[in-house]
Amino acid sequence: MPPSPALIGTSLLAWRNLSHDRARFIVTLIGVGFAVLLMGVELGLLVGFARTTSGLVDHSRAALWITPAGTTNVDIAGRLDERRRFQALAVPGVASVGKLMLQFGFWKKPDGGNESVALVGFEIESDALQPWNLVEGRIADLQQQDAVIIDRLYADKLGVKAIGDTIEINSQRARVVGFTRGLRTFTQSPYVWMTHRNALAYSRYQPEQTTYLLVGLEPGADVEVVRHALGERLGRVDVWKRADFARQAQKYWLITTGAGSALLLSALLGLVVGIVIVGQTLYATTVDRLPEYATLRAMGAPASYLNRVILKQAAISAAFGFSLGTLAAYVIVAISAYGNVAVIVPWWLLVVLAALTVLMCAFGALISIRRLVRIDPSSVFA
Amino acid sequence: MSEPLLRIEDVGVTYGKGATALSALRDISLDVRSGEVTLLLGPSGSGKTTLLQVMGCLLRPSQGRVSLHGQALHALDAEALSALRLAHVGFVFQHYNLFPTLRAWENVAVALDLKQFPPRQQQAAALQLLERLDMGNRANHFPAELSGGQKQRVAIARALAGKPGLILADEPTAALDGKSGQDVVATLQALAHRENCAVVIVSHDPRVEPYADRVLHLEDGRLVDDRRRHGNQA
Repeated sequence: MPPSPALIGTSLLAWRNLSHDRARFIVTLIGVGFAVLLMGVELGLLVGFARTTSGLVDHSRAALWITPAGTTNVDIAGRLDERRRFQALAVPGVASVGKLMLQFGFWKKPDGGNESVALVGFEIESDALQPWNLVEGRIADLQQQDAVIIDRLYADKLGVKAIGDTIEINSQRARVVGFTRGLRTFTQSPYVWMTHRNALAYSRYQPEQTTYLLVGLEPGADVEVVRHALGERLGRVDVWKRADFARQAQKYWLITTGAGSALLLSALLGLVVGIVIVGQTLYATTVDRLPEYATLRAMGAPASYLNRVILKQAAISAAFGFSLGTLAAYVIVAISAYGNVAVIVPWWLLVVLAALTVLMCAFGALISIRRLVRIDPSSVFA
Repeated sequence: MSEPLLRIEDVGVTYGKGATALSALRDISLDVRSGEVTLLLGPSGSGKTTLLQVMGCLLRPSQGRVSLHGQALHALDAEALSALRLAHVGFVFQHYNLFPTLRAWENVAVALDLKQFPPRQQQAAALQLLERLDMGNRANHFPAELSGGQKQRVAIARALAGKPGLILADEPTAALDGKSGQDVVATLQALAHRENCAVVIVSHDPRVEPYADRVLHLEDGRLVDDRRRHGNQA
């Protein structure tokens, strides 16, 4: 007696149809896997870019951001006067208002050569925003007059090897006291963290100026009510809820630069490539086996039975191809952790990729199903 | 006398239209009853295969009426005809038409699956059918590993899945040597007589005739002879 079967009926036919021709099956899997990889990496880049563009906002603890009027993203903004801070503190529901300065500057490397950097001046005593993922040094060390923290990803670019290296920012001496890991910037001007006081010294800001005010709320305060009240009280500023400002920053960089549409287009291309590959290989398999499908039809198989065989072939291709593609995508995700460009594939993107793979294979199967609809069972006697 | 399993009345089949129209069958009327082996003889192009297609609900006639198990075919759509074939007809083909990627028992199990046999019982039922045809010891082989006669036995086992009332065999001995061919026809005869199913065989092979209860001769699409044989080989 043969061993008990793991597969029967349409599942068995589908699996054997595919696995019998191994070369074609491998080509199908590589095709689907490549399409999944392409979609995964492009969409992962999109997620990575989106998170990079709004990283400062996402990692702040402020409920509201007060920005100069007309601000479109967190990296480029005008200036605010410090008196705005006191006006904001007078609004009911406001518990704290921290200052954050963001200003581009010139970084002169120890061995010569300049790089553009983004100076991030924050209030060390406030928890509204502080550098995260600190891997070397301490935030408290920033209290020294010339102290800065940079990210390890950009250390080579900035000519820095270790804590204690000195450089110049806007022609003034600065010293690296710590490193973060993974704080990327979309503008490719690395963030250089320092106290707000030091940032004023390195920039051309007046002592009473800043870029943003980060508002913390009293417990129980309604964020929307406070936002509205701040807008009315301060005038000629924009008041954003944190998530809204993050979304605006993402929208600005991904849409205005065209980066978002380019990545989406590439992902779409991956989908099309996948549909073509799956469609072509499934169709070739179907055409090769037309006499068998005609036999099934002659035996009395309803059209739905034949369609199930094709759809299961598509599902098998999808499952194996998806596993192959996501495995490769995660290798790239792991490698990207050490690069300037982040590829991020969170669990929900994995679900989206799985859905796209199923969609891709189902569309690929349609061509074969259309062919089988026209099959003539009497051809078995031809 | 019992009701015929298959009734064909004044059936004609015409391919094409107008000046190029070709009549494959003309005014055919016959009944097929359970427990009989009917042999369809005739030269090439006489309409044997077309008649087999009509009997197997694979082809709707251009004229006349066909009914299987009392069900008239002319009113049925393609899916309903499929359902009727599934319920009542088993096919045995000249070139076996086995699924090459499936083992012998899996080929039979597919037919059982089509008839919605419970999945857990399909393997056992398929093996039982193969045992009946002395193919139990080859159940785990792929068609490419079987001889022509063995393949045809697997095909007969598959046709028997779900106990159809009508078995249609198209040149079942054409690809077989003398002994294998005789064995296959003897098996079909035994099925008709012991299990009371109707077997219709299309064949050029003179070795088949001794096993038939009835012999029909077709020429130019017409039924020119219909005779019963007595004392056939059992």
